[in-house]
Parts: sequence; C-alpha cells; structure tokens
Amino acid sequence: MKIVKEALAGTLESSDLLVKVSPGPGTGLEVVISSEVMQQFGLQIDHVVRDTLARLGVTAGLVVVEDKGALDCAIRARVQTAVMRGAEAQTIDWSALS
Amino acid sequence: MTDEFDFYAVEPATSARERREIRALLGSCGLDYEEHIQVFVVCRAAGRLVACAGLESNIVKCCAIDPELRGGSLSLTLLSEIVHLAYERGHSHLFLYTRPENVSFFQGCGFYALAEVPGYVTLMENTPVGIRSYCDRLRALRPQGLPPDAKIGGIVINANPFTLGHQYLVKLAAARCDWLHLFVVSEDVSFVSYRDRYALVEEGVRGIERLTLHHGSQYMVSRATFPDYFFKEKGVVGDCCTAIDLLLFRNHIAPALGITHRFVGTEPFCETTRKYNADMKFWLQGAGSTAPAVTVIEEARTRAGGTPISASEVRRLLRSRDLDRIRALVPAPTFELLREKYLSKILPFAPDPLGHGGESDALPRRAVAAGI
Amino acid sequence: MKLRRSMLFLPGANAAMLSTAFVYKPDSIMFDLEDAVSLREKDSARILVFNALQLPVYREIETVVRINPLNTPFGHLDLEAAVRAGVDVVRLPKTDSAEDVEVLEREVERIERACGREIGSTKLMAAIESASGVINALAIAKASPRLIGIALAGFDYVMDMQTERGDGTELFYARCAVLHAARAAKIDAFDVVWSDLNDEAGFLKEVDLIKRLGFNGKSLINPRQIELLHNAYAPTEEEVEYAGRVVTAAAEGERKGLGVVSLNGKMIDGPVIDHARRVLQRAEASGTRK
Repeated sequence: MKIVKEALAGTLESSDLLVKVSPGPGTGLEVVISSEVMQQFGLQIDHVVRDTLARLGVTAGLVVVEDKGALDCAIRARVQTAVMRGAEAQTIDWSALS
Repeated sequence: MTDEFDFYAVEPATSARERREIRALLGSCGLDYEEHIQVFVVCRAAGRLVACAGLESNIVKCCAIDPELRGGSLSLTLLSEIVHLAYERGHSHLFLYTRPENVSFFQGCGFYALAEVPGYVTLMENTPVGIRSYCDRLRALRPQGLPPDAKIGGIVINANPFTLGHQYLVKLAAARCDWLHLFVVSEDVSFVSYRDRYALVEEGVRGIERLTLHHGSQYMVSRATFPDYFFKEKGVVGDCCTAIDLLLFRNHIAPALGITHRFVGTEPFCETTRKYNADMKFWLQGAGSTAPAVTVIEEARTRAGGTPISASEVRRLLRSRDLDRIRALVPAPTFELLREKYLSKILPFAPDPLGHGGESDALPRRAVAAGI
Repeated sequence: MKLRRSMLFLPGANAAMLSTAFVYKPDSIMFDLEDAVSLREKDSARILVFNALQLPVYREIETVVRINPLNTPFGHLDLEAAVRAGVDVVRLPKTDSAEDVEVLEREVERIERACGREIGSTKLMAAIESASGVINALAIAKASPRLIGIALAGFDYVMDMQTERGDGTELFYARCAVLHAARAAKIDAFDVVWSDLNDEAGFLKEVDLIKRLGFNGKSLINPRQIELLHNAYAPTEEEVEYAGRVVTAAAEGERKGLGVVSLNGKMIDGPVIDHARRVLQRAEASGTRK
C-alpha cells in the first residue's frame, strides 16, 4: 500500500497508542517511536511496527508512534488502521492483517 | 464496559449555550476565552462540562480540565480527541503553547518542544521530525564553496506589498555578505496574497547575486511563532513577545544555513520598531541561547520625498486611491499588480481591510508594527 | 452445555479494555462494533477487534462480536473481520425476522468458504430489539442451526413500544416471549443490560427476576457486575448437595442399566437430572451463593 495522505489512528490513552502516517519528505520509510516503556520494549515495538508495515507493503513514508504501553495486537491494529486511512484503501486484504 | 465521558465537537459561533459553559470552565481554570477559536472538543460527565480544548486552525488553545478530574486518563483522551478533530479539519501539523512546567505532560501526548523562554513559555509541535526535517531541507540549499568564516545574511520580509524599501534593504545586505538568504513570510492572511507577494519579491530581487530566495514556513513569523494570545492571557508582556520566533531562528534556522547576520530595516523615530529591534538583538545575540549568536544589522529605511518607505504607507495610499504617490514607492511590477488586482478590492463603506481590524487576525500585530 | 450467565460488552475501539477484559472472567466477552463505536472509529474498532481476537487469552474464553446491521455500510466488513479472526459467535443486532438470520447465515458461510474456516464453526446469536422481533421470536430462534441463543435488547425495544425503562413491567411480555421462543428452540436466552452502575440493589433485583423467569444470563456493561451476577446464579449448599445426589443416582441407574432412576424411593426423570447438572456446573464455576 502507498501512503498518499496524512492520517491518524488510535489514542493516547493507557494501553493504546497514537499512530501518525504521512507520505514523508524523503523516498524511504522512516519510523519514529516514542514510548513510555522505551527502555524495555523499544526494540520490540519497532519490530512489530516494521513487520506490520512490511506485511501491508508499505515501503515509503513517515510513521510516528506514540506508545502508551499497548499490547502487540493493539500496535498492529493501529498501524494497520492508520495506513489504510492514509492509503485511502477501499478494500481490505485480511490475510495481510493476521 | 463503557466510557463515562462523552466527547463531541462544538463550533462556538453556532452555540451560545456551549460557549457560555466553555467560558465558565476556562474561567474556573484561570484561562481566558479565545475569540478566534473555530472549534472546541468538549467533554461532559453526567451532563456537566468537565473539559475542553480548542483549535484556531492548527494551533491548540484553551485546554482546560475540571480541577477535580485532573491527573487521570481524561487529559490524554482530551488530547487524543483534539488531535483527531484537527486531522479531520485538515490540520496534521499542530502547535501549542504551554508553561514550561507542563511540557512533560504534553511530551507524553506526542508534542515536542521547539523553543522555550525559561520560566515563561514553551512552543511545542506534534511531530518529532518537524523542525528537524525542515532544517534538513534548508541545509540542502546551502551554497557550496563558501569559506568557513563567510558572512552569511538573513532577511525575513512579509512584503505586503513589496516596496522599493524592501528592494533597497535586500540589495544593501547582499552587497555586504558572502551570501544572503531571503525569506518571504508564507502565512497567507495578508492583504496581498502569498502567491503575489512571493512573485513580486522574486521579480524584484532578480539579478542580485549570491542570494537564495526561500519560501517562509510555520517556523518563521507565523501565527504559530507569535503567540499574542498566550502572552495576553498570561499577562506576560514586553521582552518575551518576539522571543519564541527569534529563538527558533537562532537555534534552528540560522545554524541550518550558517546565517551569521540578520538584517532589518529601521525607522529612527518609531518606538515599536526600536523595541522590536532591541528584542532582536537580545534574543539573537544575547545569552538567552547556547546556539551561535546572529549579529543584528539595522539599516535605516530608504526615503521617498522625506518619509521612510513602508508597506503600510503603500496600503494607506491605496486606500485613498493615491496611485501617483504609490508609483514613487514601489517597483513597477508591484504598481501594476496593485492597480489591476488590488485597487478593486477596496470597497467604499466596507470595513477597512487595511487597518488593524483587517490585519489583526492576519499577522500578529507586533510583527506588522515592527515592519516585517 | 456451555455456561452463559454473563456476557461482558466491550467497546470495540477501546484498546485498553480489549487488552485487559479477560481478567474479569465473564462467561462470554462481547466486542461491540455497533452502538459503542462512533462513526469515526468504525474502521479502527473493526481492525482492533480483528487483532485482539487472535490473542491466545481469547481462545480460552467464548468470544462474541456484535456487528453493525447488514444494511449499513459497516455490517459486511464487520462480519468479514469477525469470521476471519475466528470469533466463536456473531451477534446480529436489530433482528426483526427469520430472514435477517438467514441472510446472515448465508454470508457467514460464504466467508467461511473464502477463508478456509470449517463450515458451520461460526455460531450465531440474534438480538431482538423491536415489537416485530418479539412477535417473530420463535421463527427467529429456529431460523438457523448455528444459533446458540437470542437476546432481548431493551433500549431500542422500549422506544419501539413508545414507552421507557421502568420497573420491568414494560419488558414483561417481551421477556416472556423471547424466553419461550428460546426454550422451544432449545437455545439460550439473554436478558437486557442494566445501565445504572450505581444502583446495585436494582441490578440484583432484576437479576433475581430474570433468573426466576429462566434466563440463562444477562448482558453486562461493567466488570463489577460479573461477580454479583455469578453469585446470584450460584446455587445454595443445599441445592448443590441435593443435585449431587440426583446426579450420583442417575449415574448409578445408568451403570445398572435401569430404565428408571430413583432417589429416596422417588422416581426422578430427565429434566430433573438436567437441572441438577446445571446446578453443579454453576457451583463448579462460582461456588455456592454467598
């Protein structure tokens, strides 16, 4: 999927996260993560975010994550939603989400 | 499981009742109601208004939470809602002002500090890469091959409209520097549109060597960098008003381009300009920042027939349809455009589009008065 | 015989609640994509629930997804997400006729085929929220072998009846009709939510009523209500002791190949034995009533 516009998903509430996607200034993929549990889980969160983006076929854009201690399933869900909103996707490939 | 809080958006212009309650909540939190806010997110618990946050375009204002409900999850939900609302309205790049002691709270909400006047105020934006990628883009425009001790100038103009005075200042500065970076304020709320202002500047500086013309940005003389509202609210006056804008220039923009000198026009007997230029010296050269100092160079305005040329004088003459006198103050392309496009926009008996009324929600009054 | 006393509603867009609700141990968890989700968050809730359903913890508890009605722009996408994520039960809101269930069943089967899920493994539940639905309750309850139960939803129903929630008189006919339809179709029956969280006495009074009427359980909106409900449905020590003897006698009768089971010289038949088994099941789940 190609991110064609700025989009947002999720919240800043505890156990959730806010994900912002945008086409981005450069040509590559930039992921910026900020988390309350960066010390222990920063790498894990980064891995989940990048893995989710890869499954969706996102190779370019800026993805900013404000994590509030969310479970991996919530991280996946919010990244997927933000990308779909930013790609203006009309159809959903469910197999790319599981 | 359900949420006990009910959030929804309110346009204060269309609901007197909501407006009254918002005003009361802000009052109980020691905040003033801001007239320019287009939309609020409000929160009710059991019918009672307990929290609100407003948007004036892309600036988050008037965030308040009932003191009894602070410290819980409500504030995070409130911020989530206002950010979602801003996106829905087409604003993804947001700014907010807060007192330095609240910075850590907003950092937890996805905001990042841009500039701080210690003890008074901090400007924040909702992206970790905003100012950084802006400066990266500027850095890519740095001219190659300049010596390390090069004298690199910077000028910021609104050019509403572009006058012979602007042209004179630019030429003078370019002659005194190894390179000159010229920025046109991009906030498109002035009498002359940004598109026209930029085109006239581009035309007017053609042929001047060692000059780069830049589009302005949110980080420079914008509604975001001139927090009139905030200072009025907090009763902070004087020195701080221009500090955020100037600190952003000194700490981020100047280092990205290696700017060592900032040029500014001056009017010898204008108190406002004198004050603004003094502020500029204080924040760009003084000890208020650890970034390298930027030397401020004041240039007296060029005169036509005894009075300094200023854009506000040109607008005043336009209002009285005195084209002959305008012709002596502006380059030919500016004159043609004013005559063909802007003269007809001034209607008899209509509210004055050029005075403070028309200008106040345009550029911050202080920036205008200072002659930017 | 699945125990379904408590069905906890979770707003589908709320990540925190979805991440923690299993700790309250309701009999079933219902992820709501309908009324608890704002129009803005319909897409995010659907995707969040899709992901949450794949958490290992939700394989150990019965999961239900309340989809939006199939005549909205959201219903079919909700169904697609729920069936593909492996939900146990799909709850259809605003069921007015058997045809509503039949349409749902056809769609579920289509999705099961498309994603390779075992045909028939997605169970259904229908919520009745109107006068038409109550009148058609029996046809609805018998509309599909996938149905595990029907539920009465009070909020829309009382509005359709041009009345409002009160002491329960307004729901009297609907409760009886839904319950009879469920029992005749041999499926479960669920009562309305109790929304006033501060009125615990009112909640317990209503629970006492619906338990005596014969409902399997109730939809809940707050985890605090789970233990209260389970305790109210828990049998007394005497009931457990008697049920134990009934079940022992039945096992004895079966072992000896007797056609008739007796206890203390009195004959006991099938329904009594079934009842005793339910008593023991509730006791095993939540102990005896406190």
